[in-house]
Amino acid sequence: MTPNHAALELWPAAVSATASETDLLILAFTVLTLLLTVPVFVAITYFALRYREGSEADRHPSGIRSNLIEISWMLIPFLLTLIFFVWGARLYVASRNAPPDAMVIEAIGRQWMWKFQHPTGQAEINDLHLPIGQPIRLRIISQDVIHALYLPAVRLQVAALPDRYTDLWFKADKIGTYHLYCSEYCGTDHSVMGGEVTFMNPGDYQDWLTHAGAQQSKVAAGRTLYEAYGCAGCHDPGSAVKAPSLAGLYGSPVKLADGRTVTADETWLREKILNPNGDRLAEGYKQVMPSFAGRIPEDELGRLIDFLKSYTAPASGKAAQATP
Amino acid sequence: MSEGLADGVGVARAGHFETVGQQRAAATLGIWAWLITELLLFSALFLVALITRILHPEATVAAAKHLKFWIGATNTVVLICSSLTMSMAIEFSRIGWQRAMVRAMLATAALGGLFLVLKGYEYYADWDEHMMPFLSSRPFALAETPPARLFVNLYYVATILHAAHLFTGIALLLGMTWMAAKAGFLSRHQNWIEVYGLYWHFIDLVWILAFPILYVVNR
Amino acid sequence: MSATGSVGGTARREPHAPEATLGRKADYLHADSTLRSWFLTTDHKRIAILYLTSITGFFVIGAVAAGVVRLALIVPNGAIMTNDTYNKAFTIHGVVMVWFFLIPSIPATFGNFLIPLMIGAKDLAFPKLNLTSWYVFMAGAFFTLVSLVLGGVDTGWTFYAPLSTAFSNTWVLPALIGVTIVGFSSILTGLNFVVTIHTMRAPGMTWFKLPIFVWAHYATSLIFLLATPVITTALILLIMERGFHIGVFDPAYGGDPVLFQHLFWFYSHPAVYIMVLPGMGVISEIVPAFAQKKLFGYRFVAYASIGLASVTFFVWGHHMFVNGQSDLASLVFSALSFAVAVPSAVKVYNWTATIHKGSLRLDTPMLYAMGYIGLFVLGGLTGLYLATLAINQHIHATYFVVAHFHYIMVGGTVLAFLGGLHFWWPKFTGRMYSEPWGRVSAVLIFLGFNVTFFPQFILGYLGMPRRYATYPVEFQLLNVLSSAGATILAAGYIFPMLYLVYSLWFGRKAPANPWNAKGLEWETGSPPPKHNFLSPPEVPRIPYDYPIQAQESQDQHG
Repeated sequence: MTPNHAALELWPAAVSATASETDLLILAFTVLTLLLTVPVFVAITYFALRYREGSEADRHPSGIRSNLIEISWMLIPFLLTLIFFVWGARLYVASRNAPPDAMVIEAIGRQWMWKFQHPTGQAEINDLHLPIGQPIRLRIISQDVIHALYLPAVRLQVAALPDRYTDLWFKADKIGTYHLYCSEYCGTDHSVMGGEVTFMNPGDYQDWLTHAGAQQSKVAAGRTLYEAYGCAGCHDPGSAVKAPSLAGLYGSPVKLADGRTVTADETWLREKILNPNGDRLAEGYKQVMPSFAGRIPEDELGRLIDFLKSYTAPASGKAAQATP
Repeated sequence: MSEGLADGVGVARAGHFETVGQQRAAATLGIWAWLITELLLFSALFLVALITRILHPEATVAAAKHLKFWIGATNTVVLICSSLTMSMAIEFSRIGWQRAMVRAMLATAALGGLFLVLKGYEYYADWDEHMMPFLSSRPFALAETPPARLFVNLYYVATILHAAHLFTGIALLLGMTWMAAKAGFLSRHQNWIEVYGLYWHFIDLVWILAFPILYVVNR
Repeated sequence: MSATGSVGGTARREPHAPEATLGRKADYLHADSTLRSWFLTTDHKRIAILYLTSITGFFVIGAVAAGVVRLALIVPNGAIMTNDTYNKAFTIHGVVMVWFFLIPSIPATFGNFLIPLMIGAKDLAFPKLNLTSWYVFMAGAFFTLVSLVLGGVDTGWTFYAPLSTAFSNTWVLPALIGVTIVGFSSILTGLNFVVTIHTMRAPGMTWFKLPIFVWAHYATSLIFLLATPVITTALILLIMERGFHIGVFDPAYGGDPVLFQHLFWFYSHPAVYIMVLPGMGVISEIVPAFAQKKLFGYRFVAYASIGLASVTFFVWGHHMFVNGQSDLASLVFSALSFAVAVPSAVKVYNWTATIHKGSLRLDTPMLYAMGYIGLFVLGGLTGLYLATLAINQHIHATYFVVAHFHYIMVGGTVLAFLGGLHFWWPKFTGRMYSEPWGRVSAVLIFLGFNVTFFPQFILGYLGMPRRYATYPVEFQLLNVLSSAGATILAAGYIFPMLYLVYSLWFGRKAPANPWNAKGLEWETGSPPPKHNFLSPPEVPRIPYDYPIQAQESQDQHG
């Protein structure tokens, strides 16, 4: 599912009509920029050669009044760029008002992950699956600091604020997998707070909802517990308590403080959570984790372990480097 | 300005100025520029206060009801009186009555001190009423309306900033009074009194803005 | 004033002012040489040198941090350093470069040194206040360095709440205190300039005889006075919230963190013009001097400086188009941004027109000025992409923004700073720098700059967000290119530091007016005597009284 990209591309993929029009606007603006700057570059170079000290050039005043020139070269570029203001504003206003029949996806940002909830209840973390050919409205909020959800493929981004909802809507018309970012700096792992947005045919989307989506939901539910029981507060990279990272832990060997090496399987994880006492302590760490025996119901413990099994380090992050 | 001065009252020219008039003009423009800057400093706070009021009208009113209106009002009167004594000091300096000027300056500093004492008592009353939400040891009286904290916090920032200005002002005033009591001061530095007077009036003005914005309009 | 076709000869290059005939003891550098005479000086020229030394130190710190950032971005997966280290590096780069280099760069050094000379005064209006402002600056610097030494800060130079108030585990408080204090230094400098320009002009030096450099500093000082207090308030509120929990931005109690952004940008957008206007002033001195021609449209440029300084107060909202601001506000801010950006970008036409039919000499300062003109117009117009609402939704907070403001800040301000440094170096120090080395460095910096930052425009519209310690692998090629450019740029910066310092001891003695330039600062010795002028300077009939005059001067001054 990794987006396929050449080593160097010079134009990003656009998957909605608005995105294509934004591209057109950028291109047209670039033409105007060249129109306004290239003469300056050419003129400076030409004058530098033509009017070099000692050269035999005509230096008689041209006789044109400067006020007229001044006003014209201030006004003409201004009026030209105003066309772009109007164009940009029109496109912006259109992209701000979602049609009433748009499908609403809830997006919640927190340090450092996105959680998306589909209207049918399925949830996913960092990745987002969406149907094409249908207006989609993302209703966005943050649980902590200010984030911003940025989808380059539709040329849109909007801040996720902690105190109120913001929204973003688009209608994709091409299938494919593209990047999804947090674009407002939000702390340590800002750069790994993101994933992929996949645009699918409506039928495939329904399929995804019933199969993969359900699985994703379970993991997402586990993730929610991972947050709710405060595991993230110590085990997430960048937290104040430097507890070992749990990303990629499942199935890997763990060196313990007493010198043994065990494999982190389901049973071991379960015991470790319920009774993290001395002989299960990982090498190089202090015993600070409290026991969760009697504090976490069995079904929730199951979901939490399901989450840990699926929890891998973000592709480009460094969370996996810490060994537990 | 200089034509209204008595004999023996004036300003000694500093070396980099061409004339005394130029020096006076520079000092006057300088203090006004500083006061505009200071006014903007407080204006931004008042703006935040008004925005807080617009965002959370009920909570702001609830918080403002806890402010000690009468202490604030008394303090307003105290500061207006101190501006009056400061104006008297300026007038005395112009006509060369040095002793009267020094007494008026001391009276100004005393009124400023009275303001700080009253303000301190007001803070004590706030503490007593659990109106210091940033103290974890004393649960906030209005804990059930969280946005009230915002206005109360802003009240502290604004009044502490104003009190800091006033405190600096009193310290400067006392230092200057000590120098102004010496012989020959008025023939060399009369404009210090004028310039300082503007600063004192400004502190007064800020309170006259702060009092209605914090205490009155939200009641 | 006559303008003939054959003035391009070398004869008029001969300096017309007398050689520096002052005894060494009489000039400001040698009048007194104790440490005390430097650290307690009230001479605006010495204070300018104090500032020049300190901001050079900060430039080095900021540049090293930039080097760390570019180093980290050579690989996409963050293998070179941790995310935390990267975040701290770009934060230090931003904080130091913006507050401790760019904002004081031209005003506190060249402005301090030259404004009294240019208007024919003995000093600034308040010399002791001037010294105080340097100490205040250093106090702010101290707190910021404390934060750096203790372990750094990772909020970005913008200190957005609530990340800075409640979530960051780094040394935010000392950095905030440092930046707050530095604001007062700016205010004091601006106040001193405003009062000096109003009250200290020599007899006959009317407003429309002032060099554009002075006009630009007047406009800058107005921004110092009117915008800085607002960010001081905003930072005080942050300090109270982080340090004492006396906060108003905390969303947990219904506070609005976006309000902080409004207060922040109400200062920080005008602050862009604090950085840009003095640079425009420097270029407006260099270009006429090396074209030996009157500045084209003097009055327009003067009015434009004040006009830009005024309009810039009303465009701050264009930093928040995607931050939940109302659509109407965004429309208004976008329109106003167009109104301010176009006139500032077209100032380059004035400089180009000044070169037209001039008699050009391509010495180091002129090379920097020409580089400035090219890069500044690009920086200005790419700002308009960002001001266009629909485009902003795509490239906001991407590398396009980074490229845009580096074209303004480095391509504009830093090139103007270096150009001005070479232009006035003989005046500051009494020594000539090495011209060949100067030209080589100017070309190197221009090339290195473009290789570093042009790829970032492309990265931006491809959608690479800024402040990313790790990034998708397809962006690596352009990032490596950018890092390669940064090493060229670094080399370009190192050369001037070496040959300028070398010239202090081994450079040729400078004449009073090595460039045959106009302006009162060239009418006195190099370096100037302690009280600037041995005899009161004669104010010329018109500003920029160069041999070649454009038509307009006959119309306006006849």
